[in-house]
Amino acid sequence: MNRTPLFAEHAALGAKLVPFAGFEMPVSYAGILQEHAAVRSRAGLFDLSHMAQFVVRGDDAGAWADGLTVNAVATMRPGGARYNLFCGETGGTHDDVIFYRLADRWLLVCNASNAGKMWALLNAAAPGGVALEDRRSETALIALQGPRSAEILAPLAGGDPAALRYYSCAEMTVCGRPALVARTGYTGEDGFEVFVAAADAVAVWRRLLEAGAGRGLEPAGLGARDVLRLEAGMPLYGHELAEELSPLQAGLGWAVKFEKPAFVGKAALERQRDDACYARIAGVVMSGKVPARAGYEVIHSGAVVGGVRSGSFGPSVGRNIATVLVPPDVSSPGTRLSIRIRGVEHEAEVVKLPFYKRASTGGSGGAA
Amino acid sequence: MGQPSGLLFSKEHEWVKVDGDVATVGISNYAQESLGDIVYVELPRVGSSVKQFANSGVVESVKAVSDLFTPVGGEIVEINETLDEDPAMVNKDPFGQGWLFKVKVSDAAAQSAALLTPEQYDAFVAEQT
Repeated sequence: MNRTPLFAEHAALGAKLVPFAGFEMPVSYAGILQEHAAVRSRAGLFDLSHMAQFVVRGDDAGAWADGLTVNAVATMRPGGARYNLFCGETGGTHDDVIFYRLADRWLLVCNASNAGKMWALLNAAAPGGVALEDRRSETALIALQGPRSAEILAPLAGGDPAALRYYSCAEMTVCGRPALVARTGYTGEDGFEVFVAAADAVAVWRRLLEAGAGRGLEPAGLGARDVLRLEAGMPLYGHELAEELSPLQAGLGWAVKFEKPAFVGKAALERQRDDACYARIAGVVMSGKVPARAGYEVIHSGAVVGGVRSGSFGPSVGRNIATVLVPPDVSSPGTRLSIRIRGVEHEAEVVKLPFYKRASTGGSGGAA
Repeated sequence: MGQPSGLLFSKEHEWVKVDGDVATVGISNYAQESLGDIVYVELPRVGSSVKQFANSGVVESVKAVSDLFTPVGGEIVEINETLDEDPAMVNKDPFGQGWLFKVKVSDAAAQSAALLTPEQYDAFVAEQT
């Protein structure tokens, strides 16, 4: 199994380590609920070095990427970061990703679970003028997430991370090391994703934890990350997105730029958009104490109408929450459904996503 | 490691304390630590009969559902109702206030023979890690 450059740090911190996408990763340290609380009220530090990191270069790289993705890539300006999806001809999703536009290249971060698939896809599609590099073994990715992120990072950064707008990035030193700092995240809180050389990872991780300790910074694992993103209404590939699920089904129509002249899956997505009768992801809150879990049946009017895609207790909501894939006629907020759990039907109600929204947006200018 | 004395254990990481013909059941410290924060406990119905090692409920952590396999069989005579409001008690005090349910057993000696002593359980746990 693979290990990130920070593996020994996690072990030394007493992390519970689990296999994830071929890496031995920390699922928790002090405990999922404690780490969740830290991120929501103060800050948490995540090792995301297992995620795929590809560098794309070439004059035609932007236009090329535009043909493979649903959102706009070529129009991104240096310093921009954008959420995007790669789809297939039928409109199903290969991966959801973030592109970071730098002056002379693009950084593309993909889900760790799709690293192999995406590397093969990109290489098979790349024309002569586009150069691809797999940077994962050279680069570490550390995410600092929570309301105190900016005040923790600022004194350690060579630039002004607090001045970064949401979904933008800049090269600056962090703890004296060259870094790419992006104001992006997967928790629904303000925060930064920091890319550094693998050789600098341990020093940066330790310095951040040390500097942030006085402000309540704690290491946080993949368990807390999953609860945070679910509460924030963010999709997880394999759950709300999959080869058989399109961005439209996952409520990500805003990311699909139909005005682009051509991209893989465009025709299928146009048909889906126009028919509008596709099963879609909806958020539900359980009435009672029994959590819903992925795979449980969703029932309406006495019939199974769909299934649970993700489910957990949501501490910020104080209830059990879940995403379900259901027909459009039972997907509106207020719809009462039931979830079959170990043979018993438990009440749930569809709510508008996200389940949780932070109080204020980060970044000067407050980009929405 | 050292388990509390007077208990027997199952390979499913449950403990049993026998007092006459009533056995109190819970999960071990190793189990609660492995599970992480417990958010929900589903216990067998009072009055129901369970067989030794049969599936008799679940303990749910934030991330996962774990089946409970009762270490002793008999009639369920009491369940720990405080866990409804405070499932985290199983984490906080797994051998005390985090007890799960009580079983009236008719053949305690015979059933105990199928369980592990604290020393045997310690060795079993050591093999897991």
